[in-house]
Amino acid sequence: MAIYPSQEWCDEWKDAMNNDPACVETGKNWGLDFPGDFLFEITPGSGLDKTHYMYADIKGGKCLELKMLDSQGDKKPGFYVTGSYGDFKPVVKGEKDFIEGIVRALFIMKGDMGKIMRNAKYIRAMAASISSFKNEYLGE
Amino acid sequence: MPNIDDFIRPKEWVSDFVTDIGKVLREWGKDKYLPVRQNIDEDWKHHKIVEPLLKEVLVDLGINAAFFPYEVGGTDIPDVCTLICILGEEGARIDSGFTVACLCSVWPMLPIILKPHRNMKLLEEFGPKFCGSELYVGCNAMTEPASGADIENVDRMQGRTIQTTAKLDGDQWVINGHKIWPTNSGDTANLYGVVCTTKKGSTDLDDFAFIYVPADAKGVSVGGPYQKAGMAADMNTDIWFDQVRVPQRYRAHGPGDDLKYFKEMITYGNMATAAMCLGVMKNVYEIIKKWTTERIIAGKPLKEHSMVAAALSDIAINIEATSAWIHMYAREVDRPDIYGTNPWDDTLVHKTRGLSTFACKAVEKVCSSAMDYMGSYGYSREFDLEKHWRDSKMLGLWMGGLGLKQMENARYWYELETL
Ligand SMILES: Cc1cc2nc3c(=O)[nH]c(=O)nc-3n(C[C@H](O)[C@H](O)[C@H](O)COP(=O)(O)OP(=O)(O)OC[C@H]3O[C@@H](n4cnc5c(N)ncnc54)[C@H](O)[C@@H]3O)c2cc1C
Repeated sequence: MAIYPSQEWCDEWKDAMNNDPACVETGKNWGLDFPGDFLFEITPGSGLDKTHYMYADIKGGKCLELKMLDSQGDKKPGFYVTGSYGDFKPVVKGEKDFIEGIVRALFIMKGDMGKIMRNAKYIRAMAASISSFKNEYLGE
Repeated sequence: MPNIDDFIRPKEWVSDFVTDIGKVLREWGKDKYLPVRQNIDEDWKHHKIVEPLLKEVLVDLGINAAFFPYEVGGTDIPDVCTLICILGEEGARIDSGFTVACLCSVWPMLPIILKPHRNMKLLEEFGPKFCGSELYVGCNAMTEPASGADIENVDRMQGRTIQTTAKLDGDQWVINGHKIWPTNSGDTANLYGVVCTTKKGSTDLDDFAFIYVPADAKGVSVGGPYQKAGMAADMNTDIWFDQVRVPQRYRAHGPGDDLKYFKEMITYGNMATAAMCLGVMKNVYEIIKKWTTERIIAGKPLKEHSMVAAALSDIAINIEATSAWIHMYAREVDRPDIYGTNPWDDTLVHKTRGLSTFACKAVEKVCSSAMDYMGSYGYSREFDLEKHWRDSKMLGLWMGGLGLKQMENARYWYELETL
């Protein structure tokens, strides 16, 4: 089992997304004519000692790259999601809903909301795939 | 320089994400709707302009799907009442008639969509249609020719005036009756949620039934659209049900629960109505602010005259008060875990009637007062105020009208026993 967050975990999530028919089907238009990459900023607490960054390059329903970064660097992703490790953990475990987290401002998502609304089914599928495999967590 | 985004909206309860969803609708409206807004009145009969725009909002922007569970193709956005209020407000700033058409698409589905009483069997059947790539529209058919208010006045009339009947024949409901005025009637809707009685004249609340009827079912027919003073983007016609058969499972829930969740729909209807009033008022604020700034009277901008400033202040106060009240109640509706009241409880049905009354009166006053200070220009189509003025009157007339709204509100606060 991979530790969340880690490069092993990123590899597993990438596989989960790419093997999930719902992600592939609903995401077929995602990122084709706009930047569809995501940067997740996971802030410390609940076992995480420092801020971690995770970068996901996604296009046409396929995750092309998913990797841990030391910092945001020069990345200017289409979508930037910030949240604490304590809030991300239950989402990854499948205990809490990512969309609910965004709606209730546990997570802040910046980016073109029109694209999110037009592709909301893909965001849903992507969020569901996050909890489709077992992990280990820091601080537990 | 303050603008419409500076009016009260509690950030603790309305996240930036939800506000941004509203802004997507705002931007869409600016690009797609505002250029044709002044032509909508002429489109009342055929909806050649309106129908493609409905598809853009309900399908392409995902507004239909926003409310449905993920399992049936939706995005299942939580805090539904807050979302409806934001959409209602942003939409009505552009056109309240168009917005009611959009929101009424999912309105009749709320009894089977909202938690904790989802009817997954029906959602599996209808959800993929609402969430698909083709336009699929709902319609909440309550009003009948005799009296719309009597039907919604369930606490006192107890359903005894409902003339549309549903009789169980084997495993099918047979529906007969005549509805009038529902938003999205005519050729617009694909699915009706129909208020029926299982026993004509009965005051047994278990006889109140809410049954889904596909618009293409045999025996369903519709009349031509009514030409109204406003709200041309909403199509309103007669609907007749003549020996219409639908499966037994198309009843939303069953005896007792149909009425309970019908009342919940009324609460949401009240909230959406108030939100639409707010949206109209915000656009009026924009129009009158620009006008009274640029119009020079007696050597200075119109807004610099004390009488005018007082009227402008009233407009802003009405917007602030309505917005604060909306978000307070939306929170109460969305979070029964905190407030202990359910959206179907009389408390919330009747209290939101009060909010709706306040907002409907406020919007009428605001439109009228803005027109007073725009002179003949307010009355002419070019300046976009007269449409709001005509449309907004209707916000107070539907759902039983102000008479029923005030009476039900007083029923709660003063424990009325006879009214
Ligand atoms: C644009 C538009 C959209 C609409 N959308 C829908 C829809 O989606 N679904 C639907 O089913 N219908 C819809 N309607 C119909 C509307 O809801 C009804 O017209 C409304 O409920 C009032 O019913 P009525 O016209 O029969 O008036 P009546 O029932 O005849 O009432 C007339 C007046 O009497 C008042 N009144 C009623 N009862 C009392 C009382 N006990 N004491 C004192 N006063 C009372 C009312 O408030 C009203 O002012 C729509 C109508 C329009 C024009």
